[in-house]
Amino acid sequence: MLTKRENLLETMRGGNPDRFVNQYEFMHMMFHPFMLHNPKPDYKQENVVNAWGVTNSWPEGTPGGFPVHKPDTIVIKDIEHWKDYVKAPGLDFADAEWEPFIKEAESVDRKDQYVTTFVAPGLFEQCHHLGEIQNTLMNFYMYPDEMKELIKYLEEWEMKLAEGICTHIKPNAIFHHDDWGSQNSTFMKPEMFEEFYFDAYKNIYGYYHDHGVELVVHHSDSYAATLVPYMIDMGVNIWQGVMCSNNIPELIKKYGDKITFMGGIDSAKVDYPGWDRETIRREVRRACDENGKFSFIPNASQGLAMSTFPGVYEALSEEIAEYSKEVFK
Amino acid sequence: MSKINEVFEAVEKGKVKLVPGIVQAAIDAGDDPQEILNEGMIKAMDSVGAKFSTGEIFVPEMLIAARAMKGGVDVLKPHLAAGAAGAAGKVIIGTVAGDLHDIGKNLVAMMIESAGFEVIDLGVDVPKEKFIEAVEANPDTKIVACSALLTTTMPSLKETVAAINEASFRSNVKVMVGGAPITQEFADEIGADAYTVDAASAAKKAKELAA
Repeated sequence: MLTKRENLLETMRGGNPDRFVNQYEFMHMMFHPFMLHNPKPDYKQENVVNAWGVTNSWPEGTPGGFPVHKPDTIVIKDIEHWKDYVKAPGLDFADAEWEPFIKEAESVDRKDQYVTTFVAPGLFEQCHHLGEIQNTLMNFYMYPDEMKELIKYLEEWEMKLAEGICTHIKPNAIFHHDDWGSQNSTFMKPEMFEEFYFDAYKNIYGYYHDHGVELVVHHSDSYAATLVPYMIDMGVNIWQGVMCSNNIPELIKKYGDKITFMGGIDSAKVDYPGWDRETIRREVRRACDENGKFSFIPNASQGLAMSTFPGVYEALSEEIAEYSKEVFK
Repeated sequence: MSKINEVFEAVEKGKVKLVPGIVQAAIDAGDDPQEILNEGMIKAMDSVGAKFSTGEIFVPEMLIAARAMKGGVDVLKPHLAAGAAGAAGKVIIGTVAGDLHDIGKNLVAMMIESAGFEVIDLGVDVPKEKFIEAVEANPDTKIVACSALLTTTMPSLKETVAAINEASFRSNVKVMVGGAPITQEFADEIGADAYTVDAASAAKKAKELAA
């Protein structure tokens, strides 16, 4: 039996995997000291201000925290003077703060799993967390120079974060969050994405790849099929969160030798109040049958190894393992 | 090119800074203000909506066009008969209790407003009682539009529509629902009058329902 790492590589290379890669099994997900300095709301907690000044709430019955944008809580009040409002939090942490993360990384059997550092929010998300999404989307037209300056500032901060992570934790994968679309469309046209975000991501992901990171896993649980060529060029190895609206079989056919697609099971179809095992079984089998053994990892589209409703993630894993036994006889 | 065509083109292309001046020029040239609104701006937003639905343009282009139209309406308003800008009727809109997502709801509000309606936006995380109170305070409301983006807030949407369905004013209003996890089947099941997949089709449907 192949290790989780070997099986992933065989799946990505179109070789001889001996089972489906089972969701997040190949990643040992880790955090980093900045996350301890960045307050976030707990379940049912409201109006928690994070290290960037962004106010977040996590209302009862919802999957996670969310920025609250009222006139008084939007950080960037005036994009033309964004420098007056956006103050990047510090990233100089004492060795003692890195120590528990270093120890955790050292405890991982890297022949079996990738030490994976979690990074969120991404550049686009950070822009609209700071500036509110509609303002942000309009600012690409109305204030393109200011938006480019802001993105450069965020990129430089992320590069410093990457330097700290690679120096101390030495991960061999990163899991980087940035939602680039809704269920059926990207938030912006591909040319606009290229103009504003491509270079920044190429620099960030390039840095990780140049400093020991073998796998860049990018999360965007959305439609983003039109951005796949950019993903490949900027160094994404696995796109996690790929929703069914993307026509995944077509993407695998076209790009499967360059990037692997992780998802294919829309969370909303399996993760709901009163979820049932039969639906999960059906969805797992459909996803595996439609997308095949190579360049595809069956997984619910939601980011991280979790579900909104208890038991759904585990049931998905069990059904994937079960179906593997039938497909990989 | 007639001034109204210029208004149409400038709104459609989202020329925020140019639209007020072009609208003023159209007024100065003697174009009928109502026609500038209907043929120049509302039609331009119809075109924007259609292009959005087919994937030809994206959210930023739609937002910028709506912003451009708003600038034009501000110039036009003093020249229009009272209430003409919202002549299609009154719409109350909100994201249901427990759900903080606003972009989809805001896009729908914007497109409906651009289609000639007066929109009362109750915001996000709106309790069902607040929807009811808003309709009671605005008895001329034609449509109540409720949004839910999460599977976890679908029950909240169901409760909201149930409360509206039980209200005494129900026969006077139409109920529209939308949001990523919502389907036509779900809309039928909870007793809504209409479901649409995106902001552009919501505006189109609102016009049909209010006709």
